[in-house]
Amino acid sequence: MSQSDGPATDNPVEYISHHLQPLQYGDGFWQINVDTMFFSTLIMFGVMWVAYRVGKNVSVGAPTGAQNILETLIDFVNGLVKEAFPKPNKIVGPLGLTIFVWVFLMNAMDLIPVDLLPKAAEMIGIVGQDGKHALKVVPTTDPHTTFAMALTVFAICIYYNVKNKGIGGYFKSFLVHPFGITLAPINFVLTMVEEIAKPLSLALRLFGNMFTGELVFLLIAILPWYIIPIPGSMWAIFHILVITLQAFIFMVLTIMYISLASEESH
Amino acid sequence: MNITATLFGQMITFVIFVWFIKAYLWEPLTSAMEERTSKIADGLASAELGEKRIDEANIEYSRIVDEAKVKATDVITMANQQSTTIIEDAKVISKKEAEKIISLSNQQIGQDLNIAKDALRKDISRIAIACAEKIIKAEISQEKHKSILDEALKELK
Repeated sequence: MSQSDGPATDNPVEYISHHLQPLQYGDGFWQINVDTMFFSTLIMFGVMWVAYRVGKNVSVGAPTGAQNILETLIDFVNGLVKEAFPKPNKIVGPLGLTIFVWVFLMNAMDLIPVDLLPKAAEMIGIVGQDGKHALKVVPTTDPHTTFAMALTVFAICIYYNVKNKGIGGYFKSFLVHPFGITLAPINFVLTMVEEIAKPLSLALRLFGNMFTGELVFLLIAILPWYIIPIPGSMWAIFHILVITLQAFIFMVLTIMYISLASEESH
Repeated sequence: MNITATLFGQMITFVIFVWFIKAYLWEPLTSAMEERTSKIADGLASAELGEKRIDEANIEYSRIVDEAKVKATDVITMANQQSTTIIEDAKVISKKEAEKIISLSNQQIGQDLNIAKDALRKDISRIAIACAEKIIKAEISQEKHKSILDEALKELK
C-alpha cells in the first residue's frame, strides 16, 4: 500500500505517530484541523457538483448515467425511511443520503496509499507545526468530523422530540420511561444515559473503525516492502466492506434515531 | 478531542451539505421519479381503457351487423311480398282487360254477323226474285196462274 522507506522502519513509533498527527493551526478553541476540513469540504464540493448537474438536467423519461445511479440510491434510502417513518418526513431522506455518500467517500480516502498524499504535501511545503509532514487524508479518522455529524443528528432528534411531544412531554419521557413515574430518578438517569449514548456511539463507532483501519494500514506500511503487497491488498479489499458498512450503519442509525424522536408520546 | 472550531466548522459544513443535497438533488429527483411513476400508471390505465373500448367497439360492431342482417332479411321479405302483390294485381287487371276486349270483339262480331245476315237476306231475296222472274217468265200462263196473279195483284193493291 505504501512505500516503506528507511526512517519508517527504523523508527516505527515516530512514523505512526506522525501519520496520526493532524495538520493543525491555532490553539485552544480556534484550533483548526486543516486537513480534515480541506478533504471533507473537497469531497463535499465534488458531490455537490455532481448533484447540481444531475438535479439540473433531471429527466422524467428513462433516466441515464449518473441520474440512474442516484435514483437507485434515493430509492434505497427512501425505502429505509418509509419503513421507519409512519408519516412522511422531508428532512430525513436527504439527510440519510448525504450521510451515506459523504461518509462513504470520506472513508474511501483510506484506500489511497497512506504515504502518498502526506509526502506530496510535504514536497509542496505543507508541513506540521514541528516541521515534519503531517496530513490526515481520511476525515472520518478525525473525531471532530464524526462528532460533528453525530451532534447534528442529535440536535435534529431533540428538535423532533420537542416538536412531537412538546418541551414538557419530552422532559416527562425522561421521568416515566422505562419503569413508570414511581421510579422517576432512576428513569431520568437511565434515559439520560440512553439519549447521550446515541450520538456518542454513533460518532465513536465510525471514528473507531476508520482510525483502526488507518492504523492497520500504517502497521502494514512499516513492514519490509516485499511483504507489504499481500497483507496490504487483503486489508484494502476487506476495508472496502468496512467503508460501505460504516457509511450504511451511520445512515440507518440516523434514520432510526430520528424516527424514534418523531414518535408521538405514548 | 477538544471542543474546537473544527467541530463547529464540520457541523456547519454538514448542515450546508444536507441542505444542498435536499434542494438540488433530492427534491428534483424524487419529484421526477414520482412524476414518472404517475406517468407510467396513467399509461397503463389508458392502455387498459383502450382495450376496454376496443371490446366495447367490437360488441357494438357485431350488434350493428346483426341488426343490419335482420333488416336486410326484412327488406327482402317485404320486397317478395310486394312483388307477389304486384303480380296478383296485374293478373286481375289483365283478366278484366281481356274480358273487356273479348266482350267488345263479341259485340263487333254480332254486329258484323247481323250486317252480313242482312246483306245475305237481300242477296237471297234478290236472287229468289230473279229466279222467280225467270220461272215466271217461262211458265206463266193466263189460265194456270190467273188466280195466283190475281192474288198477288190483290196483295199489291
